[in-house]
Amino acid sequence: MPGQDGERLYVATSLADALAALAERGRTASVLAGATWTMRAPLRHEPQDLSYVAISKIDELRRVEVLNHEISIGACVTHAELANALAFLPECSALVQAAGNSANPAIRNVATIGGNLCASAFAAADLVPALICLDAELEIARPDGSERLTVERFLEIRSDIEPGRLVRRVIVPRTKRRSAHIRLPLRKAGDYPVASVSLAATLGPTGIVESARLAVGSVEPVARRWPLLEAGLVGRALDPRHAAEQAERLCGDFSGRDGIEAPGWYRVKVLPSLVRRAVLALQEQS
Amino acid sequence: MSLRLNVNGEDRFSAAEPLTPLVDVLRDEFHLTGAKIVCREGFCGACTVLLDGRSVMSCLVPVGLAADSEVRTVESLATDGVLSPLQLAMEQHDAVQCGMCFPGMLMSLTSFLERMPNPSRDDIKAALAGNICRCTGYERIVDAALSVVRAA
Repeated sequence: MPGQDGERLYVATSLADALAALAERGRTASVLAGATWTMRAPLRHEPQDLSYVAISKIDELRRVEVLNHEISIGACVTHAELANALAFLPECSALVQAAGNSANPAIRNVATIGGNLCASAFAAADLVPALICLDAELEIARPDGSERLTVERFLEIRSDIEPGRLVRRVIVPRTKRRSAHIRLPLRKAGDYPVASVSLAATLGPTGIVESARLAVGSVEPVARRWPLLEAGLVGRALDPRHAAEQAERLCGDFSGRDGIEAPGWYRVKVLPSLVRRAVLALQEQS
Repeated sequence: MSLRLNVNGEDRFSAAEPLTPLVDVLRDEFHLTGAKIVCREGFCGACTVLLDGRSVMSCLVPVGLAADSEVRTVESLATDGVLSPLQLAMEQHDAVQCGMCFPGMLMSLTSFLERMPNPSRDDIKAALAGNICRCTGYERIVDAALSVVRAA
């Protein structure tokens, strides 16, 4: 049963319990997962919401299931759990690297994949470009059922999602691909990335790239694909130098965001180097 | 409503508002002042404690999410006045300076060494990525941690 009126934090014990609590509270409540973003709202000079429904104790949201055709990741799986659970799957290297190197160990023990996707003002989220390059989808639970949509589509609508709904799980399709996540923090330890590049590609028997998905994070307010560069990678062997030259030529596709840690032009300027490293990382995978 | 936490092996109760940061409850209500409040944004690591065995930044954990969990703070490391091997190594390597970051360093390393008993120097540095020290330059801290590993 939902908690008493006026309670600021309700800790749900099941998905149905969480949906009922959210329905009861309507627009006055938000979903709370790991809480690392929400607890810093005062530092960002943002008001906290009137009340929260915590979902991090719900067992089904804490599971990673590796099936033959897809991987299902509960919304409250932490970065550390994710990196650990998928470490044996080379096809998911981008996601493992993103989850295993973001922030610092104590944050990775708490911050969740669902929170990373839902923090719409968090431009430097590592998991988001990694999930885009892996063509991930997510499932939103609502009182009358659920809906499934791509991560890219979710990023477009996430600020306008109606109350009473929550991200239930993330679904990563399984294909024989190589992938990598390359990030540039100013300090090696603990910083947000100034820019990040996530790349996934499938290769033909002769090593020719048959398909490529490349996503850029932290440069603009929301991570997104780089379609022109993807097209330039397809139809030829992995070639880090050539990819960097293409990225240099196409950098005008991005308008970097200015921030305390780096000006916008710098975030764009480093992209060719990150692209080169990403292609090199795929080249080194066998 | 009262929240129950098991802190350093002892049941404690708090009437704090559930979104209160865990570190404030530990310090202000339970008078366990080892965990330090510095950045309050999960960046410096001075407030690191163990929650059900995992290192967490207690400035970013709402106490309501720590209810019915086990919390270990730096005050739990020494038993009957005898320092833990890690604490002793820090003293022997003269690794402690101002002490602000140290409770967090100890808790991060305690959790890490429990999970990875035979780490490399680089592993230890990576484990300390969330613990910032402005005094020591880290090397003696890493030396001390490595000495515990080698002595085990």
